[in-house]
Amino acid sequence: MTAAAHALADTRILTGRSLKHILRSPDTIITTAITPIALLLLFVFVLGGAIDTGSGGSYIAYMLPGILLITIASGIAYTAYRLFMDKQGGVFERLRSMPIARSSVLWAHVLTSVVANLASVAVVLAVALLLGFRSGAGIGAWLAVAGILALFTLALTWVAVIAGLTAGSVEGASAFSYPLIFLPFISSAFVPTQSMPGPVAWFAEHQPVTAIVDTIRALLSRQSVGGDIWVALAWMVGVLVLAWIGAAAVQRRAAR
Amino acid sequence: MTALDAPRVRGTGPLRSGTVLIGRSLRHSLRDGEGLVMAVALPVMMLLLFTYVFGGAILDDGYIDFVVPGVILTCAGFGASSVAVAVNRDLHLGAMRRFRTLPIRSWTVLVGHVAASVLRNLLATAIVIAVALALGFRPTAGPGRWALVVILVALWILAITALFAGIGMIAGSPEAASGYGFVLLFLPYLSSAFVPTETMPSWLRPVAEHQPMGPLVDALRALLIGGADVQLLPPILWSLGITAAAGVLVTQVLRRSQDR
Repeated sequence: MTAAAHALADTRILTGRSLKHILRSPDTIITTAITPIALLLLFVFVLGGAIDTGSGGSYIAYMLPGILLITIASGIAYTAYRLFMDKQGGVFERLRSMPIARSSVLWAHVLTSVVANLASVAVVLAVALLLGFRSGAGIGAWLAVAGILALFTLALTWVAVIAGLTAGSVEGASAFSYPLIFLPFISSAFVPTQSMPGPVAWFAEHQPVTAIVDTIRALLSRQSVGGDIWVALAWMVGVLVLAWIGAAAVQRRAAR
Repeated sequence: MTALDAPRVRGTGPLRSGTVLIGRSLRHSLRDGEGLVMAVALPVMMLLLFTYVFGGAILDDGYIDFVVPGVILTCAGFGASSVAVAVNRDLHLGAMRRFRTLPIRSWTVLVGHVAASVLRNLLATAIVIAVALALGFRPTAGPGRWALVVILVALWILAITALFAGIGMIAGSPEAASGYGFVLLFLPYLSSAFVPTETMPSWLRPVAEHQPMGPLVDALRALLIGGADVQLLPPILWSLGITAAAGVLVTQVLRRSQDR
């Protein structure tokens, strides 16, 4: 059995373990979805009617991409929490004493995070459909949206891995997600950047969330994605690579 | 013999014991630096978010003047919510039981919590107004109207703090008290605090216009940025009504706990 096949087998078994934890407490998926659903209701029914997006379409279609990103940002806090609990409970030490690939321990948490967060996204999407969201996008566009959301989850999850491994407390493990949850608010997720004052508009236009939101919005409304998709992919892949390198370094330091 | 009918000891009348307990609650507040910062930081962040991010898409001009009254009341809600947890903690960690052995009235403990919270919230509100002025809020109110604003805000803070104290008394744990409080913090959003009610769906509009904060926000806005038709009676009645209801709730809970 090659080293790669060995690592894959280890990852599969450990992912199964992590997924069992999720399945035994499915409330984490619901809890993750509660805040985005509350925001969805607030923006659609209370604030939405007063916001001029300049797009002419329904406001729920305009703001849904941002809500989906907030769902993921809320969910990855649980990944950091689960990692921290494994570290605190001595699970990492026990696994380190076994003949398993070191990378598989982290990849198991990461893959579990992707599955759990996409499940939360599905819950939020179902609520959006109940509230009147409709899209004429084809299967290809929906698959592209799913791919972008999965890549976004993957990138942020590796950031969560660093937070989970370096945190000194449960609060510290999940606190890193607050700025990530807040970031979509200062983007084109809820209002067009043109309506913001100069410096705020500049920041909103040049931060990663705007490119990702605009790409998803264009895909769901059957419009041309333009150059936004490449900017979005560059941001996500960049964060993913840097966070992965950082997480590997933190894990190596912890193993010493 | 309960604390209610205990013989009066010199220097332990309601005024004296109330003052001591207000001091106790204020000291607790000052030691909770994080709580103090959050009570101001959250409303300020909300003010910045609504003014600089959402404001331009809601109103073309002068949105800050529109939104400040709502942020003031949101600030009051954030500050008051901590009372529910503080009261519940006193109840469950045995502090209330210890106070009951002293020759003081049971309700003075709650008066201490409520009065300290009102003072703390008025200070936080003043800071939020100062930040709003720095961001470009330009009220046209004269001294008389400002006095009415202070009275309305103080009455609302008293009402919501008393309500949170009542929630703290009936909640099963500090976490539950915090959770119940969180629901009440949504009230400002379901009013004319952040957007005009005309832009809301027809089924939601009556709720927004007739819940306690609707008339209060409208009155504050009319007082601060000019409006001939200022309706003062509805917000005053709401505030006094909520305070009275909270008082009845607290009295019932105290009586029941003393009967045990």
